[in-house]
Amino acid sequence: MIEVQTEDGIRFRIPKQESLGMRTDVLVFASPELIEQIRRDLSLRQAVNVATLPGIVGPSLAMPDIHQGYGFPIGGVAATDWEEGVVSPGGVGFDINCGVRLVTTNLEKDEVRPKLRELVNQAFRDIPCGTGGKGRIELRDKELDDVLVKGARWMLEKGFAEERDIECAEEGGRLEGADPTHVSSRAKERGRPQLGTIGSGNHFLEIQYVEKIHHPEAARAMNLHEGQAVVLIHCGSRGLGHQVCTDFLAEMGAAMKRYGISLPDRQLACVPIQSEEGQGYLAAMRASANFAWANRQAILHFLRDSFRRVFGNHVRLATLYDVCHNIAKRERHEVDGKKRDVLVHRKGATRAFPPGHREIPAVYRHIGQPVLIPGSMGTASWILVGAEGAMRETFGSVCHGAGRLMSRTAAKKGRTAKQVEKELEERGVIVRSETKDGILEEIPEAYKDVDEVIEVVHQAGLARKVARLRPMGVIKG
Amino acid sequence: MFEVLEHTADIGFRAWGSTPAELFVHAALALEAIALDTSQAEERYVYPIAAAGEDYETLLVNWLNEVLYYVDGERVVMGRFQIDQISPERVSGKGWGEPRDPARHPPRLVVKGVTYHQLSVKQEGGRWVAQVFLDI
Repeated sequence: MIEVQTEDGIRFRIPKQESLGMRTDVLVFASPELIEQIRRDLSLRQAVNVATLPGIVGPSLAMPDIHQGYGFPIGGVAATDWEEGVVSPGGVGFDINCGVRLVTTNLEKDEVRPKLRELVNQAFRDIPCGTGGKGRIELRDKELDDVLVKGARWMLEKGFAEERDIECAEEGGRLEGADPTHVSSRAKERGRPQLGTIGSGNHFLEIQYVEKIHHPEAARAMNLHEGQAVVLIHCGSRGLGHQVCTDFLAEMGAAMKRYGISLPDRQLACVPIQSEEGQGYLAAMRASANFAWANRQAILHFLRDSFRRVFGNHVRLATLYDVCHNIAKRERHEVDGKKRDVLVHRKGATRAFPPGHREIPAVYRHIGQPVLIPGSMGTASWILVGAEGAMRETFGSVCHGAGRLMSRTAAKKGRTAKQVEKELEERGVIVRSETKDGILEEIPEAYKDVDEVIEVVHQAGLARKVARLRPMGVIKG
Repeated sequence: MFEVLEHTADIGFRAWGSTPAELFVHAALALEAIALDTSQAEERYVYPIAAAGEDYETLLVNWLNEVLYYVDGERVVMGRFQIDQISPERVSGKGWGEPRDPARHPPRLVVKGVTYHQLSVKQEGGRWVAQVFLDI
């Protein structure tokens, strides 16, 4: 049993134990209720394992949506020293730059409702989930390499984006230092037909409305009002990123011995950031991240067509913001009073920079970086803004979702997809899924209460609530 | 032959075989069955599959990565496998199947990757047993 200490009922600490190989403490943000749920799976053990990584700076951090992952817990954050520390593909995950884009519309909920079914069906036709077939974009070799280097900017050059879509994405929808030569031909072949597809698992596209504004000033800067229709897109780098992770896990597993690194879990495989393998991984990871930004942009492009077809040409869809929640980034943070360059691994965690940070687009700089938190299918999602506490305590990071509670097999027991569809319709939510299992496995009861997760990060001062969103239509794989 | 295992966020399976070769065949069938419905897969083509590893565990992950690449990269469905040669460091064999057709082989889950999470391959009471978790 792992001993957890708390003084304030929000910060739960596992002190460093050298017998476990820990180089630092584990710090979990949670509530007394959430920590009991968290204790039921392997997530705390995994957060302890992360604390053994060479060169880790500050504590091994976990957000209130933490649940058991592979190597790293999902909802984990770890910063490693840029010169002396390691990079771990497991700290990013298979779905590199899995993330969220939120899009505002100039439509009200009441205008969308009467045509909701038509809209959901139209978008379901226009945007493939890609579980069985291909996407709609054909890429030649040179074009795919350009996507990997330019990310969402490539879509802008091709006329599939508006300037604002790029300005209002983390990193401008493109990470510097991407190198397609480090992406294997297998990764390219796996990803090539999947640009502009959603994928399966917990990925989805949701038509939602703003239920309640909690921070009027931030909502004004975001052009948000109660009753407004919005769209949330949750997906990542598809097979391209998955294969990059697979390739480098195998390479690093073998390389670790050469660097004299031994770890409690093979899935944590890591190498020094400054090694050839470390730099190779980061170059390939950035290329995958760029593919993911291009992917979310392509989906938005097709979605604009769907909305115009249903509501006419006056409809405007504008990107509010786009965040990644599976990524490792070089950032400068203050640690023990000194500025240090670190590699921040965010595995199921979202960057949350506070007001005034230079990385935030000018329109939002006075309110803080928008943070987008998708809830489970059919419940609620949240918009937050980053706050000062995140810079002090979590390397500018917060949670990324509700966090799973129930296994996929358990979720499927006792109900049919038709029953779940009907229950959701009774709550005013229309669902279309490419697979039957897709609906059953993502039932709302399989997740923690997203409101409770948000309350923790709000109370802890890591981020501030801006708006709660309610779903109307869901498209998923 | 195999059974599906629970994991909070993802999915796993336990596979059995009287020999390592049979175990690897059953593990490949488990991966296919989690990804898609293989009941209508016709044996129109033979696909070669080979992998290397340091031991049976890494070998199994790499073998399954080869099968997964056929599913998600080559977009092929396979309903039968055979191992020709196997040692803890190397495996070679083949699978029979055809290009994927969503109408005849309905997709179930997109498998992102094969993990080392709680991975095991061992002999238990005269048979070979493996446990593998997949990222979904």
